[in-house]
Amino acid sequence: MDIVVAIKQVLDTSEAVDVVEIDASGKDIKKGALISRINDWDEYALEEAVQLKQKLGGTVTAVTVGPGEWDDTLRRALAMGADRAIRIDEDAAAMDSCVVARVLTALISRLSYDLIMFGAQSEDLGSGQLGPMVAEMLGIPHATLVVSLQVQEGEARVSRELEGGVLELYTLKLPALLTIQTGINRPRYVSFASIKKARDKELKVMSLGELGLSREALTPMVKLEKLELTPAGKRAELISGSAEEAAANLATILKNSGVILSG
Amino acid sequence: MVLADYKYKDIIHRCFRCGYCKFPTDWMDVNNCPAYARFRMESYSCGGRLWLIRAWLDGKIDWTDHLAQIVFSCVACKNCAEKCPLNFSDNIVDMITAAKSEMVERGSIPSAVKNFLENIQRQGNPYGDARIKRGEWVEGTGIKQYEGQEFLYYVGCVGSYDTRAKETAKTLGEVLLKAGVSFGVLGNEENCDGNEVNKLGEESLFQMLAEENIQKFKDLGVRKIVTLSPHSYNAIKNDYPKFDGSFEVFHYTQLFQDLIKGGRLNVSGGLNARVTYHDPCFLGRWNKEYDAPREVLNAIPGIELAEMERNREATLCCGGGGGNFYTDFLGGSETNPARIRIREAYATGASAVAVACPNCMTMLEDAVKAEGLEEKLKIRDISEIVGEACLVKRD
Repeated sequence: MDIVVAIKQVLDTSEAVDVVEIDASGKDIKKGALISRINDWDEYALEEAVQLKQKLGGTVTAVTVGPGEWDDTLRRALAMGADRAIRIDEDAAAMDSCVVARVLTALISRLSYDLIMFGAQSEDLGSGQLGPMVAEMLGIPHATLVVSLQVQEGEARVSRELEGGVLELYTLKLPALLTIQTGINRPRYVSFASIKKARDKELKVMSLGELGLSREALTPMVKLEKLELTPAGKRAELISGSAEEAAANLATILKNSGVILSG
Repeated sequence: MVLADYKYKDIIHRCFRCGYCKFPTDWMDVNNCPAYARFRMESYSCGGRLWLIRAWLDGKIDWTDHLAQIVFSCVACKNCAEKCPLNFSDNIVDMITAAKSEMVERGSIPSAVKNFLENIQRQGNPYGDARIKRGEWVEGTGIKQYEGQEFLYYVGCVGSYDTRAKETAKTLGEVLLKAGVSFGVLGNEENCDGNEVNKLGEESLFQMLAEENIQKFKDLGVRKIVTLSPHSYNAIKNDYPKFDGSFEVFHYTQLFQDLIKGGRLNVSGGLNARVTYHDPCFLGRWNKEYDAPREVLNAIPGIELAEMERNREATLCCGGGGGNFYTDFLGGSETNPARIRIREAYATGASAVAVACPNCMTMLEDAVKAEGLEEKLKIRDISEIVGEACLVKRD
């Protein structure tokens, strides 16, 4: 079972929302003191791939399209249990999803794979398009928002998460591509020692030229115009009074707004 | 892991579960192991854990979420080491930490522990708050950045980020200013001391933190360090020397003791209150400092010190060690050790519990609310009591 997992690095804004600012270009946030980390969904995809490899044997290859500083995230993927990592040395921020999909497709089609996994979406851009696009370009079946996975006899049995807690169960013929939803597993802790040990594993950097592509031939079809911070809401209300009064007041507001049903 | 690879393979079988590890020094209560007090099951005592760890190493039981929860609910309070009659008693906490280490290496640890450690990897504090907010508590005080002063005031993660503990960190700084102590802080340049990381078994992360901190201290010419937290004090005093970092380290209550004796800290303003003192494990059992905090309190006119039944070596831990102030394996019940401790403190007739540790502060503050006693029993750090006695005004 050879598995390819596509991952990306994002800025950790989770505990620092009040320090997010738009940069001078108007198209990106100021990196400032923000810290980078692996995209949340991708960590679940990697964990699923590594668990599958531990059960069935084979290899896990982590791939990305990004700048040199993303090597930290690839090393983390190696520490989690990927056997090797490949980075296409390009600034993905200058591309649209379709261009990134074309680059990843060119790379993955050169690799051996039974299963390809993506995170269901990225924390920063959140388009959720990349996985399905790559599957179409490779001409293989895919399923998105996968919350459980079993692989046997050349097939992947998956369930997809729909609205309202409904699950859709599918069988896909391998090779196939899956985009993984958070919660499918519990990603392991990556210890500092395992990151150090993973330094010996292969981390290959490739150029577009090595994939037979050129920047000129990869024109984005979607152009980012501008990034804006959401304007502060005007409907916020501070509830005062004792705990009992405040709780009763809050309950009334929730009932009146239909958030909870009275009775 | 197999038994052959376990650091304590030659001694772990010697625990025959006499059960002494659950008692305080004077045998007055069987519930002095905080996790045992909480769950009342042998498996949560030190002896129970050692047997389970041995069974796991022998391949007789699997590592499950439940076993992980039992092993990680050890808060490293060292009560067991105090009472264990066997000659390996000094190692029994380390024997549990070594099992935690193995699971950390495998990555198979409870989610709360994983979050704790990942937050420290990313942001240098267990809460995951931004590194650039670490020094915010200094704003509005006269406390200066460290630049060669006599002391480095090392605050630690809880004092830097926890809302209540930040007040303590400020007050301590202001008392030191009032006493004319030459000191500075690292602000946003401060990083986690790693004491809890070490007790959670993440050895390589601890080593990295220790080495980076030591290098920073040396580059800045630091020789003397005063800490707010006994946890920081323990790591810097006992563990940093293993990484070639030897500094003169004081817990602030030790410095207060000297300052009061030397007449530099005038506490004659006094404070009329009956106060009981809760020994922090990392000052008491880990570092045998039981007297300095008591002498400081006794030096304040009007303070009547009332001891709880379990004190000094026999103290019941608040449950906040080993990262549990964040991971919270012992909460959600009236047998939460912090709540037991609050009831014990209340029984002394004191109007305040004096603490000397920001972790104890946060644990006992929560517990006093859960017990509905917040109007009757205040949790006050010794720096705050001294601050009032030497007329450092705080709103």
